[in-house]
Parts: sequence; structure tokens; C-alpha cells
Amino acid sequence: MSEDILLDIKRDYVLSRLRDGERIDGRRFDEYRPIEIHTNVISKAEGSALVKIGNTQVVVGIKLQPGEPFADTPDRGVLITNAELVPLASPTFEPGPPDENSVELARVVDRGIRESEAIDLTKLCIEEGSKVWIVFIDIHALDDDGNLMDASALAAIAALLTTTVPAERFGVGEDFPLPVRDLPISVTSLIVNDHILIDPSRDEVSVGQYFMTITTDQDDNIVAMQKSGSYLLSEEKFYELIDVSIARAREIRQLLKDV
Amino acid sequence: MRKLVIPGDLVATNPRVAGYGTYVEGGKVYAKILGLLDKTDTSVRIIPLKGKYIPSVGDIVIGIVREVTGNGWVVDIHSPYQAFLPLPEYPENKSRNLKVNEILDIGDAVIARVLNIDPKMKVTLTMKDKVCKPVRVGRIVAINPARIPRVIGKKGSMIRLLKAELGIQIIVGQNGLIWLNGDRRKVSIAEEAIYIIEAEAHTEGLTDRITVFIKSKKGELENERGETQANS
Amino acid sequence: MNEEKPKLIVDGKRLDGRSFDELRPIKIEAGILKRADGSCYIEMGKNKIVAAVYGPREVHPKHLQDPSKAVIRYRYNMAPFSVEERKRPGPDRRSIEISKVSKEALEPVIMKELFPRSGIDIFVEVLQADAGTRTACLNAASVALIDAGVAMRGIVTAVAVAKVDGQLVLDPMKEEDNYGEADVPFAFLIRSGKIESITLLQMDGRMTAEELKKALELAKKGAMEIYAVQRDAIMRKYRSEEEVE
Repeated sequence: MSEDILLDIKRDYVLSRLRDGERIDGRRFDEYRPIEIHTNVISKAEGSALVKIGNTQVVVGIKLQPGEPFADTPDRGVLITNAELVPLASPTFEPGPPDENSVELARVVDRGIRESEAIDLTKLCIEEGSKVWIVFIDIHALDDDGNLMDASALAAIAALLTTTVPAERFGVGEDFPLPVRDLPISVTSLIVNDHILIDPSRDEVSVGQYFMTITTDQDDNIVAMQKSGSYLLSEEKFYELIDVSIARAREIRQLLKDV
Repeated sequence: MRKLVIPGDLVATNPRVAGYGTYVEGGKVYAKILGLLDKTDTSVRIIPLKGKYIPSVGDIVIGIVREVTGNGWVVDIHSPYQAFLPLPEYPENKSRNLKVNEILDIGDAVIARVLNIDPKMKVTLTMKDKVCKPVRVGRIVAINPARIPRVIGKKGSMIRLLKAELGIQIIVGQNGLIWLNGDRRKVSIAEEAIYIIEAEAHTEGLTDRITVFIKSKKGELENERGETQANS
Repeated sequence: MNEEKPKLIVDGKRLDGRSFDELRPIKIEAGILKRADGSCYIEMGKNKIVAAVYGPREVHPKHLQDPSKAVIRYRYNMAPFSVEERKRPGPDRRSIEISKVSKEALEPVIMKELFPRSGIDIFVEVLQADAGTRTACLNAASVALIDAGVAMRGIVTAVAVAKVDGQLVLDPMKEEDNYGEADVPFAFLIRSGKIESITLLQMDGRMTAEELKKALELAKKGAMEIYAVQRDAIMRKYRSEEEVE
């Protein structure tokens, strides 16, 4: 309840500054907050990354183990993406099984990785038809100051980039780096009163949950899209969103080169 | 120099001097919160650095109406405790012949005073006080309630400084909410100044730094205005 | 664990080179999260843990409120990637038990009567686990509570003692925890630099009463060292506040 009062105060302020064509933290409409990527933060995991976007923090851990392939893809590894929006990260997160927001976040991150074919799953086959590598991508939110989506997606790909397949531990050969051949980047925007606000902070989200996430691969193809929230999107805004998302994704992808 | 203390630190051996933020056990006085130790001859208290707002009778608070009932309003005062403003506590001359939700509706902000707190922490507000009123214009800023004394300043010195330099209305709620009203740009400067006070509350020379900050921001405004006029 | 049991003490030293009364390296940072009212990050050995405190805050649903004091909730949770074999998300029986005894370790120290009808929530996430997570979590939770400004009688500090190859050792690491003869986690209330009482006590294994008394002394020694690190973490975070007004 006392969270609500802050939202009310912020909402009016965000809207009044928008009328002046400004964001409350002084950013340009298409500007991200400062981004930090730290990899190998959980040495016991096969891969890991901590990403900070402004004050938002997410850690992603990658675990691999041999398992059965799906019947219709006997020669391909399996990707399983899960998100835990743990109550530690926000006063509004409750303990319990994943709610619709956790599920949506995990599935959108997963889509970006899967549809961009960032991981060549055929390289994760141990014995066709019976044994393949199961890749668990576990997203763990630590601090929700807005845009957990992009922080999670970025942490996921950064973690995958630094993952070693633990073949030796399971006696199925030598360890090898997980083959990552694309860099999907998601860009999330808040759409308010005809403005597009890239990388919305939690204070900005006080005006409403009106999001669009667009994920692109390194060739600027769109590999995932998610309109999230109860609002009406105009065609014009849609085209604008595509352009700005491709442009921002290119910049963020550069950050991964140093990983 | 005020020392930082944590819960359990021994701060005095005379139970009679035990003040805010301390507790007595076995004839000794200990800190019960994180804070700065303030020792005088007659009292030992802890100045809190963090913590939620716990209402106290007489406090001025700023809140937002959450529910309208037949006999009053449930008000969110940014505390673990909700407050209730009974209809009879709204100034009568301003509410005659109006329905409850016509006087105050959900989402309206008010400046009110804490009238009573019962043992179960049920908080009752009143608006029958000169400074109390509904807030329909201006801006509300929220800070850490523990910093509010610093925004007010010794004998009101800081808040007087802000008002004098910027010429705006300021009402400070003990619950960490502050109402600002006046010229939009000046209100923005006040807001920035308040965040600086919040961040640097206990450091030396804060009042001077705030004065310098406000003067320089006002200077920027004048330059902007000068340019706009020159260009028009 | 009935496979070939490794020797845990070699040439009078433990497998990681520590002496019997030596703690693993500890690092504590207070106030590292923005949304939480209080927070703390701790590394103890290879354990990496984040603790957050929310409260006092309103309790929902209303029927869970206690009219005379705050309701304390403690949730110990392990991230799926925190252990060698990926752990399914969600509470298991072990997490539920740890949450219960940890809550009970903090409850008598939190001044609950000052906040009737409210709730204080403590959430601890184990990001990487390496034996002694429950004690490391309590150490972090303690600091997070102080960082949140919650009124407490003192600080809670926790450490475990194990018996390995007949020898009592402080702050067991993974192999000692797995193959030792006994594991005893302790938590203490510390006030003004003195250990006053025990707030958490469990035991798994077999020990004589004499050994247990020695284990307590060893744990107290370790707890005092950890207390210094907890204190230092808070002082570093709030140092700038100490300057002259």
C-alpha cells in the first residue's frame, strides 16, 4: 500500500515532464541507462552473468546436464529457460510459483535465443535419439528498477557466451565452449501518450504497463516481438519502434564484444 | 562528532538518560537502531538514519486518499500503518452540503495532522488545522523520512532558506513527503536541492552548499530567460 | 555417502590449508539493492548470498496480522544454478526447515512489539552454495535488518562447527560437511561486542557432551570474528554520516 503512494506521486511527475518533452532522469527518449555486464560471477555454474541496467540487476546462471532429446528432434540439444522474480527484488513480488509476468519474461528471452538460433543445438547431441545436452537458462532477478526484460535477455546471452559444456564431469568427452553463433538483443520500450521511452525505469512505469519488446539478431532481423500490456498500438508507432529497436540493439551488441 | 552506532551497542549506564532509539535492560542503556549517537548531560538518544515512518500524534503528514467510506476517508501516509480521516475532522465550513466523495475522492492528496493513535496503531487524522488542506496543485516529493529533520533544519533554518531563495510554498510532512508549489522551474530546483539534502544530510557545510547550488541554478534560469527574450 | 571417505585432515591441516579454528575468507557489503528497505551481500568461502529486508510494512491478507506485534517472515531460497546439479526452483523441504529455524533465530532479537499489525519480511537468495549457507544467510540477514533501520536488541551472528576425522573444525567447507562425523550450526545474539545468547542451534551427526561444549567455544570465537566484519560493513556504508553537522 505504501508503495502505491510513491507510484501516484511519480506518475503525475513523469507525465508533467513528458508534456515538456523530457524524461524525469534527463535521458533522451531513446537512451539506455548505464549498462554493466559481469560474466563468470557464479563459478560453480557452467556459465553466468550479472547485468546492471541503471539500478536494475539480474543474474543468469547456465547449467548443463545430459538428458533425453524431444522425440521430434532426436539430434538436438534442449533449451529450458526459467525466470524467478523473487520477492527480494521488489516489494511487489510475492513468493510462489512463477506468475504470468515471470512466465512471459522467460518465454520472451527464450524466444530471442531460440529463433535467432544463437546456439547450434545440433552441436549439443551426445548420442542421437537418447542423449543430448539440456541447457538450463535460469534468470534470477535481484533488483527491479524497471526493464528486467532487457537486463535478463542481455545476461542470458552474456552467460551463454562464457559457458563451458561440462562433458568431462559426465564422462562424455572433453569440455568445450558452448557454440554461440548469434547475439540476440532485446530492446524494451514504454509507450506513453505518443512517446516511446526506451529502457523504462520503474518510476516511469508508474504511468502504466504499456510495453513493447523487440529482439533482433546480429543481421538486424527481428527474431522476437512482444506487446505487453493493455493498450492500443498505432501502426505508425509500431514502425518507429522497429527502427529505434534495431538501432539500440546494434549499440548494445557492441558491449558483448568485450565479454 | 556523532558516533555511528548499531543495535546492541552500549550507550549509557544510567537508565534515566535513555532517549529515542535506545532501550534499557539490566540497568544499562543500549542502541536499538542504526543511527548517530547524540549525547547530552541529560539524555542519550539515537538519530535514525533509516526506517519506515511510524506515526506520532501531532505530526503533519501528506497522504493520498485510497478509499471513501460513509463516514470518512482511508488515507495512505506512506507508513506500515494506514490512516483514517473521519468526516467530522474535515473543516465544516468547507464541506457543507457536499457528499463525502465530493469533498475528497480516491487519489486526492491531503496535508493533515495526526490526531490520535490507539494501542493497535490505528491512526486517526484531522484537517482542522491552519496548515491542513487538500492538495490539488504543486508537486509532492518523497524522501527517506529519517532525513526530514534535515530538510527542516535547526530551528527551521534549511526550509526557510529554500523558501526565501526560491519564493515557493513548501510544506514538509513528517512521513517523508514534501509538498512544493510555485513557479515550475523553481519547484524543480527545490526538488533537486531536497535530494541533495537527503543524500548529504549529516555532512558539514550542507547549508552553504545548498545556498550555492540554488543560486547557481537560479542563475542558469535567468540566462535561459535572457536568451529566450533576446531571440523572440 | 558410503564411497571411499577421503582423509579430511592431512599433516594437521584441513584440505583447504586452514587451521582448525580458521574461518573461510569473508566479504560483506551492506545496502547493495535499491528497491529493498535493507540489503546485504555476503561471500563466505565460495558461498555467494544476497539478503533483502522489506518492512515494517502492511500485512496482507488482514487476518494474518497480529494486533500486538509484527509478523516476521523469512524465506531461504536457492537459485537453480547455485549448486552443482541444477536445482528445481521453488521451496523444498530443506529450504522450508532452514527458513523456519532462521526466522526463529532472528525473531527474539527483532523488537516486534514496536510494530504491531505489521510485517517484516526477510528474503535470502543463495546464488552460489558451498556448505554453511544457512549460517552465511543469517549473517547477511542480520546486516540487512540493521540497514533497513529495524529496531533490534543486538546483532545476530552465525557460524558452524563440524567434527571431521575426530577433530573439531570451525566453518566447515563442502567436503568436511559431506564426510564429517557431525555438523553443528550456531547463531548468537551479540551486544556491545559480547556474545549473550544462542538463537540458532541444530546438530546433525554424533558428538559427546564434552565435544559439544568445545564446539560452542570454537563457534563463539568464530562468531566474534564474523561480527567484526558485519560491523565493518555497516560502518563503511554509513561512514559519511558520521561527519560533523
